[in-house]
Amino acid sequence: MSDTADRIDTVEMPREGLAVVQASDISSERLELSADVVIIGSGAGGAVSAYELARRGLDVLVLEAGPYVPSKDFTEDFTESLETLYEDHGGQANTDGDLLVLQGRCVGGSTVVNGCVSFRTPDFIFEEWHRDYGLTDFTPESMAPYFERVERNLSIQENRPHEIARHSMVLSEGARKLGWSVKPFKRNIRECALTGHCLSGCKTERKQSMLVTYLPWAAAHGARIHSDTRVDKVLTENGRAVGVEGRVVDRTGRHVADIRVTAPRVIMAAGAVQTPVILQRSGLGNDQVGRNFACHPSFYVGARYPQPIHPWRGAMLGVYVDEFMHPDKGGFVLEVGGLGIAELCMINEPGTGKPFVEYMQNAPHMAGIVTLIHDHNVGEIRWQGDHKAIHYQLSDKDFPSMMASLKAAVRMHLAAGAEEVFLPSSEALSVTREADIDRQVDKLVNKPQHLRMVSYHPQGSCRMGTDPAHSACDPQGRLRGVEGVYVADASLLPSSLIVNPQVTVYALANYVADRVT
Amino acid sequence: MTSSPESDRAAARQAAAPMAAVSRRRFLKTALLGTAGLAVVAGGTFAVLRRSPVDGMPVPDGIRHLSHSEYHLFRRAAEVLLPVAGTPLTALQEVPVVAYIDAMIGMLPAHLRKDVGAGLALFDNAAVVSGWHGRRFVDLDDAAAVAYFDRWSTGNVIQRTMNAVIKQFVYVSYWRDPKTWPPVEFDGPVSDRWGIAYLGNAPLPDESALPQTGAQTVESRP
Repeated sequence: MSDTADRIDTVEMPREGLAVVQASDISSERLELSADVVIIGSGAGGAVSAYELARRGLDVLVLEAGPYVPSKDFTEDFTESLETLYEDHGGQANTDGDLLVLQGRCVGGSTVVNGCVSFRTPDFIFEEWHRDYGLTDFTPESMAPYFERVERNLSIQENRPHEIARHSMVLSEGARKLGWSVKPFKRNIRECALTGHCLSGCKTERKQSMLVTYLPWAAAHGARIHSDTRVDKVLTENGRAVGVEGRVVDRTGRHVADIRVTAPRVIMAAGAVQTPVILQRSGLGNDQVGRNFACHPSFYVGARYPQPIHPWRGAMLGVYVDEFMHPDKGGFVLEVGGLGIAELCMINEPGTGKPFVEYMQNAPHMAGIVTLIHDHNVGEIRWQGDHKAIHYQLSDKDFPSMMASLKAAVRMHLAAGAEEVFLPSSEALSVTREADIDRQVDKLVNKPQHLRMVSYHPQGSCRMGTDPAHSACDPQGRLRGVEGVYVADASLLPSSLIVNPQVTVYALANYVADRVT
Repeated sequence: MTSSPESDRAAARQAAAPMAAVSRRRFLKTALLGTAGLAVVAGGTFAVLRRSPVDGMPVPDGIRHLSHSEYHLFRRAAEVLLPVAGTPLTALQEVPVVAYIDAMIGMLPAHLRKDVGAGLALFDNAAVVSGWHGRRFVDLDDAAAVAYFDRWSTGNVIQRTMNAVIKQFVYVSYWRDPKTWPPVEFDGPVSDRWGIAYLGNAPLPDESALPQTGAQTVESRP
């Protein structure tokens, strides 16, 4: 193994772009490769693992199912971005079809298309992990060095005043009138250009996603990256990982080549939906693989204001309300978020015909709040033989939290001066005065296709813990039942975080990479 | 048209996402059989009632994926859902809404396409008996068509689903066209227009300045 300091002195970093082997580069029908470590997925978990292991001298190979899209090719058109950068072209949904599960599917994964929001794991979540899952090694103190590393590496800093867009300023005032705690987000961004197009990828490379940070750094240390490469199975012999096999498929869906990688270590970092699916196809792990899925089911609560807001202008995410974050105080977070015209026409049901036209005419006067709850791990990811299924219904235990978060969001809008707040339901429901909040929101019931929900944060489908009967992985991220397979993505989280998980995933991936032997 | 096949596919997937519920085929069959059952009760009357003047109307040459009845359903749905005449919004005639929908429908995977088709047929024909309009959706006047949508928005799961699917196909197809953006001051892509400089990759971290976390020793291959 090479000395780390020597390697850093000698590595070369491209100023822009990333060397990626794509489907268009493959000329043979079969690829046979080998590595010290093969990493499945190039998002938050995969990229951090790749860098940390490559800089220690290991021969690292990263396989990404999605395409490599250089920043300059980002279009800032959300409908186009869904096709090129998102899982299932942005149409990934639960089996009931009322919860859209948005995940990145490109080199860099969800870090390319997220809103840059950067939270450390809340202290009370670590306490929960300690109490309920025996994870005594995870404390705010023990994880502090990991958080500090990734925060410095990704330029994570609190939004400055010019990064608080009009929607965030207006809603901050609403929260202050109610006496609620409201704070600027921390984000992983350098010199934000305030385009508002975070969800379509940051065209000018200001978002410090894996595409412009850990992946180029890993490549500089010798890591190889293959895009368009779908891993079908993890291969094992005598209870040990020996590699993976899969297919190279181009952007039109054409099967270009088969691929087999020989490697004694496999790191699963394909995300909380794909990681358990690959393990199930491989027949690996215990019966906990795929179970305990959580996802922060969210509402986007939109409202019309008397003054222009232009919710697509400025930094997409400015402030959040943490007044209710602790489970004892409600267990939800309110995040002020901008959005574009395509999203605006799909999130609310203002009524048919003229009411809808009037609603869209008022698009410049709209602002919105995203609700996040600390949901229970009631879902399950299953490979059904020829397709995946996300079994997740909002549980009756979580429905009160969802309604409480909705009522709080409506109250905040009204305090900020909103004229009408639209409820995220299949029927046209809205609130124009505080006295009507309970009556209107209480019309909502927990049944399929009644609520319009989005998940940005799938988690927990291969959770870690000390009890083999209730966890898929041990506290070091090792998959139970097989040697040499590690999980280093949001699948590991034993309970939902309540806050945006990217920083937790970075830190956990670094933690797991440190324990790879 | 300004959209690309890629964006059509994305928008189609998004608009059809609620169809995941309908894809539970048993439920869809039940709903279809329920409608058929009512038709049987109505006897031969149903066959007469479900005839429509649009059945004899042509479909434009460029339409490739929508069936004749689906084309007319979406054409009528766009009129009902987007009554923009008399507003500052871009006129419906200037946006090829149904052509966009046709392209999007063509992008759906086969199993989803089949379910969408069944759901659309249900939506159109169920108007004969649902609400006792005695006519298909395509023949309802504006007020009745609006009431029909609204009733489905509060109906059973399949009704709520089809209400959402049809609306989302129509809405996305209209608002994705850049011609619709100026009236609502939507800026669209801005980085190139604003001339924003590219920052490139972040420089390699200075490991000597970072907290160290105690990695295990690990053997590389010989």
